[in-house]
Amino acid sequence: MKPALASLYQAVDLRQEIAPLMIGERMNTNGSKRFRDLLLADDFQGCVEVGLEQERRGAHILDLCVAYAGRDEKADMLEMVGRLRGTVKLPLLIDSTTPDVIEAALRIYPGRCMINSVNLEDGGKAIRRVCALLKKYGASTVALTIGPKGMAMTAADKVAIARDIHAIAVGEFGLRPQDLLFDALTFTIGAGDETLRDAAIQTLDGIRGIKAALPGIGCVLGLSNISFGLAPASRKVLNSVFLHEAVLAGLDAAIVDPGNILPLARIGAMERELCLDLLYNRQKNPLRTPLMLFIDHFHRLSGGEVKSGKKAEEAHRPADQALTAHIVEGSKEGLEDLLAILLRRMPAVEIINRILIPAMRHVGELFGKGELLLPFVLQSAEAMKKSVSLLEPHMPAVTEGHATRVLLATVQGDVHDIGKNLVDIILTNNGYQVFNLGIKVPAETIVQQAIEKKVHVIGLSGLLVKSALVMKEGMQQYREAGLGIPILLGGAALTRKFVATECGTAYDAPVVYCVDAFAGLQAVRDSEAGTLKGTTYDNATPVAAKPGVKTVDLDRTHVVPTPPFLGFRHVSDIPLSMLYPYVNTQALFRGRWGYRRAKLSLEDYNTLIAEKVQPLYDRLVRESATEGWLKPRAAYGYFRCFSRGNELIVRDEEREYRFGFPRQDEAPNLCIADYFKTESEGGDIAGFFVVTMGGEIAEKTRKLYETNQYHDYLMIHAFGVELTDALAEYWHTVMRRELGIAVKEPSDTTGFVTQEYQGSRYGFGYPACPDMEAHKPVFALLQPEALGLGLTENMQMTPEFSTSAIIAHHPQAKYFSV
Amino acid sequence: MSPPTKRYICSHCGYIYDPAKGDPLNSIPPGVAFEGLPEEWVCPMCYVIKDNFDPLD
Repeated sequence: MKPALASLYQAVDLRQEIAPLMIGERMNTNGSKRFRDLLLADDFQGCVEVGLEQERRGAHILDLCVAYAGRDEKADMLEMVGRLRGTVKLPLLIDSTTPDVIEAALRIYPGRCMINSVNLEDGGKAIRRVCALLKKYGASTVALTIGPKGMAMTAADKVAIARDIHAIAVGEFGLRPQDLLFDALTFTIGAGDETLRDAAIQTLDGIRGIKAALPGIGCVLGLSNISFGLAPASRKVLNSVFLHEAVLAGLDAAIVDPGNILPLARIGAMERELCLDLLYNRQKNPLRTPLMLFIDHFHRLSGGEVKSGKKAEEAHRPADQALTAHIVEGSKEGLEDLLAILLRRMPAVEIINRILIPAMRHVGELFGKGELLLPFVLQSAEAMKKSVSLLEPHMPAVTEGHATRVLLATVQGDVHDIGKNLVDIILTNNGYQVFNLGIKVPAETIVQQAIEKKVHVIGLSGLLVKSALVMKEGMQQYREAGLGIPILLGGAALTRKFVATECGTAYDAPVVYCVDAFAGLQAVRDSEAGTLKGTTYDNATPVAAKPGVKTVDLDRTHVVPTPPFLGFRHVSDIPLSMLYPYVNTQALFRGRWGYRRAKLSLEDYNTLIAEKVQPLYDRLVRESATEGWLKPRAAYGYFRCFSRGNELIVRDEEREYRFGFPRQDEAPNLCIADYFKTESEGGDIAGFFVVTMGGEIAEKTRKLYETNQYHDYLMIHAFGVELTDALAEYWHTVMRRELGIAVKEPSDTTGFVTQEYQGSRYGFGYPACPDMEAHKPVFALLQPEALGLGLTENMQMTPEFSTSAIIAHHPQAKYFSV
Repeated sequence: MSPPTKRYICSHCGYIYDPAKGDPLNSIPPGVAFEGLPEEWVCPMCYVIKDNFDPLD
C-alpha cells in the first residue's frame, strides 16, 4: 500500500510523483508572526485563512503548531483542527511536542494525519508514548535526528539516531517504515560559522545514509534553516537550490513556504553555481570564502554596496549581532540555533558577558530615553531569560558566584509585589544574583538574610503610605545590625524628600530613592563601581501643589437619602460583563501597562494601540469572561451615623464604631466627617463596601511570574488591578442608584475620573483617609470574611485584588488631599 | 498668536488637561498651555506630577 495521508476530502501520497511533498509552514506560532498574532487575538477564522492561502499557493499538506506560552495549547489545537477539518482540503501535520495535545488532535481528526514530531532527546520516553498513539490512530510521524546528546551534526550521527528511532517505531511498536519521515536536520551555512561550513554536506550525506540504511522510510527537511542569517532575497535562491540538491539525495518532503521556492529554471547559472559552491563548501578563491562571494554577489545585486558602502561581510548579520537584535527586539524565535552557532565560537559565559548583558544594557538605555516601552522591555527580559537557560547546561556549576548579590523584599505588612518583581526581572536579567524574599518581610528577616546570603545591596519596596513609615523605622535596625551596605527604596508613597530626610539620616550607608526598576539597576551598577551616593534633598525642589477648591461653604440642609436596607449584604454573582464598560482603558494602557506615548507620533501611537494593545485587551476580556479567573464579589451596606468633629460615629444595631479622619491643615480645612450631619442635625447615612476579584487571579499571576512569563505577568496583573477598580466604580454606581441619588451620572469614562456624579467614595489608604486601621471596623460592619477576604497584620486586604471605600452622598463631597 | 489647544492625559488616572478649560482645582485659568503649567502642578484628580502626562493630540 502506498503511504498516504487523508483529510475528509482527499488523500495525498507521501511520495509525490515529482518530489518533494510540500508541507506548508505558515500555520506556526513559532515561525509566523502573522499567525501568532491572529491566534493571540483569538481570530481563529483568520488562522484558518492562513491555511487556505497555502493551499492556494500549492502546498500538499499543512503543518499546524499552536503552542504558545500562556495559552491553552490543547484547546487551541482542538479549535483549529475542528475548523480546518471542514474547510481546508489538505491533510494536516499536527505539530506539537506534548503527547496529550497530539492525542486530542488525533481523536478528532477525521482522516489520516501526521505528527510533527518525535525524537530521542529524552532517551525514548516521549517517543514511546507517541508511537503507541500512532499505532492506535493509524497516523504517521516526522522523526527528528535528535539524540540524548542533542541535535545530530554529522551524517554518521544522523544515521545512527535514525536507526535507533526506527528500532523503536518499527521494531517495538510495529509501525510501517513508510509512515516515518526522518528529518536529518539543517543548520545554517549563512552565519559564517567555521564549524558549520560543511553543514549542508552533512545533511545531504545524512539523507543518503538514512535512506540506504532503512528501506521504505521517507526523509523530510525544514528547509529554510540552511540560509538563516542571510538577506531574504538571497535566502530564497539558496533554499531553492538546496531543495533541488536534497531531492537528488533522496528527499521526499520539505517543510517550506511554497510561495518562497523558485523553480530552478528561474535561477541564473552563475547564481546557481555560487549556491552550489556555498552548499558544498568549494573554496575557489583563496582569499574569499564561498559565503563571502555569495554575499558579495547578492549584495551588489540589491545595490546595497553603492548605497551603504558597507562591506559585504557586514551586510548579513553575524550570529552575535543577530543575538543582540533578538534581545533588543524581545524575540525568542530561533534562539536555539543562534546560541548553538555561538557556542561553537565561545564559551557560554562569554556569550552572556559579551553579548547578552550589553544587549540588556542597551535595552535599559532605550527605555530610559523613552524609545522602548515597558512591555517590550519585559519581552527582552524573557528573551534574555530563555537565552541564559539555554546556556546554563553549558556552564560550569558555580556554587558561590562572583556576581553582585542583591536582596529584595516588600516590607512588613505590605502585599504588593509587582514593583519588586519588576526590579527582580531587570536585575536578574542583567546578570545579578537576586534573593527575592517575597512580601510582608519583617526587618529581622531582612537583616538575617542579608547577613546569611552575604548580599551587597538591599532593595526594599512597598506601595502603602504605611510602608514608607515601615521603611523609615527599619533603618535604625539595619544600622544597629551593622549591615553597612546600600539600601535602595522604591514604592508609590515614597518621595525623594522622604527618603533623603527621613530614611537616609537614620542609616550609615547610602539610602537611595529609585523611581523605577532601571533606577534600581543604575544604583546597583553605581554600587559596584563604588560611586553610589545616598539620595539628597534640595530645599529648592518645588513642593507639590495641593489641588482643590480653596473655599467651601458646606450645605448643612441637604436631604439624607433613604437606604434600601440597613446593615450589610453580600453579593457573589456579579456578572463580569457589567464591569467592562467601567474599565479605565487609558489608565490601564498608559499607566499600568506602560504603553506611554513617549516619542511616538499620534499616528504611530494609534497604530500601536490598534494593532497591539487593544487586541491584547480584547483577548484578556474574552479570556476572563470564559476562563473564570476573575470572580467579582461585593460586601456592602448602609448604616446610620453622625459626625462629631473629625470623627464619624457609625451605629449598627447596638454597636458603635468610630472612624477618625484627618483634617486639612490649610484652607478649606476639609475632613470626610464634614460631609455627614451631626447628631443635632438629625444624623445621616453612610455607605461602605469591600469588593474583590478573588484569589484565582492572584494565583494565576503568581504562576506566570514563576515561569518567567514577565510580559504576560505584568499585563494580566495590571488587568486584574484595573478590573478591581472597575468593580469599585460599578459598585459605587449601584449604591448611588439604590440611594436614589443617581440623577446626574457621567456619560463616559472621563466623567467617572472627574466625579461627575453626586457624592464621593473614599478608599481606605488613599489621601483623604490614609489610615488602614479603619479596615477593622469596616470588616466588623460588612463581615466580608465570608467572601474569602482577610486582613494582614498591617490592615491590608487579601487577596491583593480587593478594594474598599466609604461612600458619602453629600452633593459637595469630592476627592481632596490632606 | 492662537491660544494653546494641545490636550494632555494623565497616564495614571485618565484625567485630561485641556488648555481651553484650564484647571479650576489648581487655580489655572483657561488659556494656559500644558508646558506653561507651574513646576509644582500635579494632576487635580490623582495628584501625580507632570511627568506622568502623555500628549493626547
